[in-house]
Amino acid sequence: MLSGHKDTLDPRPFIEGEQTDKSLNDSLLHHVLRGAGKGWWTLFTIALCLLSVLGVSLGWTLYKGIGAWGNNQPVSWGFGIINFVWWIGIGHAGTLISAILLLFQQRWRTSINRFAEAMTLFAVMCALIFPVMHTGRPWYAIYFLMPYPSVNAIWPQFKSPLMWDVFAVSTYFTISLLFWFLGLVPDLASLRDSAKSKTKKFVYGLFALGWRGSGRHWAEYKWAYLLLAGLSTPLVLSVHSIVSFDFAVSVMPGWHTTIFPPYFVAGAIFSGFAMVITWLVPARHYLGLKHVVTMRHLENMNKVILATGMMVTYGYAMEHFIAWYSGSPYEFGMFFHTRQRGPASGIYWLMVFCNCVAPQFYWFKSLRTNLKFMWIVSIFVNIGMWCERFIIVVTSLHQDYLPSSWGDFSPTVTDVGLYIGTIGLFSTLFLLFMKFIPAVALTEIKELRHELEHEAHAEQGGHAAGGAH
Amino acid sequence: MSHGDSFKGRRFVLAEFETSDALLESTTTLREKGFKKLDTHTPYPVHGIEEALGLGRPFIPKIVLCFAVLGIITAYSMIHYMNVIDWPINVANRPIHAPPANIPITFELAVLFGGCSSFFGVMFLMRLPKLYHPVFQSDRFCEKASVDGFFLSVEMPHDGDAVAVQAAIKDLGASHIEVIDEVER
Repeated sequence: MLSGHKDTLDPRPFIEGEQTDKSLNDSLLHHVLRGAGKGWWTLFTIALCLLSVLGVSLGWTLYKGIGAWGNNQPVSWGFGIINFVWWIGIGHAGTLISAILLLFQQRWRTSINRFAEAMTLFAVMCALIFPVMHTGRPWYAIYFLMPYPSVNAIWPQFKSPLMWDVFAVSTYFTISLLFWFLGLVPDLASLRDSAKSKTKKFVYGLFALGWRGSGRHWAEYKWAYLLLAGLSTPLVLSVHSIVSFDFAVSVMPGWHTTIFPPYFVAGAIFSGFAMVITWLVPARHYLGLKHVVTMRHLENMNKVILATGMMVTYGYAMEHFIAWYSGSPYEFGMFFHTRQRGPASGIYWLMVFCNCVAPQFYWFKSLRTNLKFMWIVSIFVNIGMWCERFIIVVTSLHQDYLPSSWGDFSPTVTDVGLYIGTIGLFSTLFLLFMKFIPAVALTEIKELRHELEHEAHAEQGGHAAGGAH
Repeated sequence: MSHGDSFKGRRFVLAEFETSDALLESTTTLREKGFKKLDTHTPYPVHGIEEALGLGRPFIPKIVLCFAVLGIITAYSMIHYMNVIDWPINVANRPIHAPPANIPITFELAVLFGGCSSFFGVMFLMRLPKLYHPVFQSDRFCEKASVDGFFLSVEMPHDGDAVAVQAAIKDLGASHIEVIDEVER
């Protein structure tokens, strides 16, 4: 019996129903092999409309220059950095699920890793737009981002956290892509063999690279996959740490703290898991994945959201405590005056509600297993984490040390257009992903089913032997 | 085919088993009987396949280690050459060579080189991408090997004695056996 293996702490099965390799194969590939429905086309049209907003905003930024953004003095980092950090953070849940939970042998990751990894890739693509565009004329700016012998005869300054960022984010994207594709190859082979139309067979066959499930291949493949997971694990922690260095290495009140790296990483995972819930709750219904993405998986993710939400709350508490304990009037003023009672105080309190209060409902099992409720909370968390980045970036800059140099910040239409546009890019890519690529790691699910079946047999055998005593 | 007679393709005996356990047992038995060039084809990695095929330790970790170290050396020497030797930038008389500031990029390049070598290294070791292989000539293989079938293939020269192999596999309880003669492409 498939679900025979009972975990004492959580007896619910990872895969619901009596499944065979064939039934899993058919049910998990169904959403790729069937034609696109009306719902998909509707969503895709909306996503393309939003994507066109990105096109217009990018075009206008390139035509007009960086003056089209709301950045000014003293707020020289505006929406660009806010959105960059927000998107990068969202990507982190994918790597956590695919790599860290793999190393910890968390079996519930198998149902959601493909989905979350795709989210990582698309989120990093959205994030990359901002640092590239904030240079104004990217084709002139490349010399200080990439070490190549330019005619300026000048090298990048490697002591700058912004340079570390370039290396961290580009490495992160490359490794995430390779990890994702490596995991995808056997699934593409299944698609090649299950597809009926010649075109699909050809295209999927091309990307399956001629995979034939050879035992000699699996022996090396498993290790390559594990090594990529092992490399991704410190990588994901380093990426958001380095993003936080962009702030922490400076001397601005509110930025210059040692708690930033861990607190940024926790926040990244917090927002990333929320984004997975936002997409997965509807997707598991429409793609027919309820038997592999069960309430157990969703509940586990909500527990991670609760835990990381508490870490983020602790981060806020520590920031405020140290601001008071340091005795620095600038730090104290930043946290207890500017942020709580300044011009952006509305966003501050929205952040506190979304990130600190909203996840607390997850202490109740009835709420963390309620689909509608968890979807709403995930939206709150997405908003809350955007507000956090807004508070960090804008408040510290607009009122720093000298009141005579204080200023204000308001985004332009282009800023808002770029932000909405990246949501369009993300949605477009995600919808394409869900149409053309299996949203669940089919091969790994089959392997998990096989393992569970073996364990169930072993357990039954053990009970039989025990009964004979 | 213009030069059909000169082409000497390989010959494969392809057998399907009902369960992965039967596949593992049969593979072990055949290997112990002295059959060479065995391979298994399964939709997912089956535990114990390395032992059944008599494979040694995987080679990929060595490749990844070498490239990760190469990444460290590349990053540190690049930074050192550019910021210390070729064009030192003195900012407020801080040390020109500051090891802590070099850690992040050194780490990232180690991961980048190691990760890329893991992907491309395993592709090299598997000799993929290679879209054609004689086992794909079997319709049954194409239908089941990546879905729910457990296959065993024995490779031999074009004039190899397939009958002996077939007999040996039949004794092991294969549910389906066929002989594939590689055709010229």
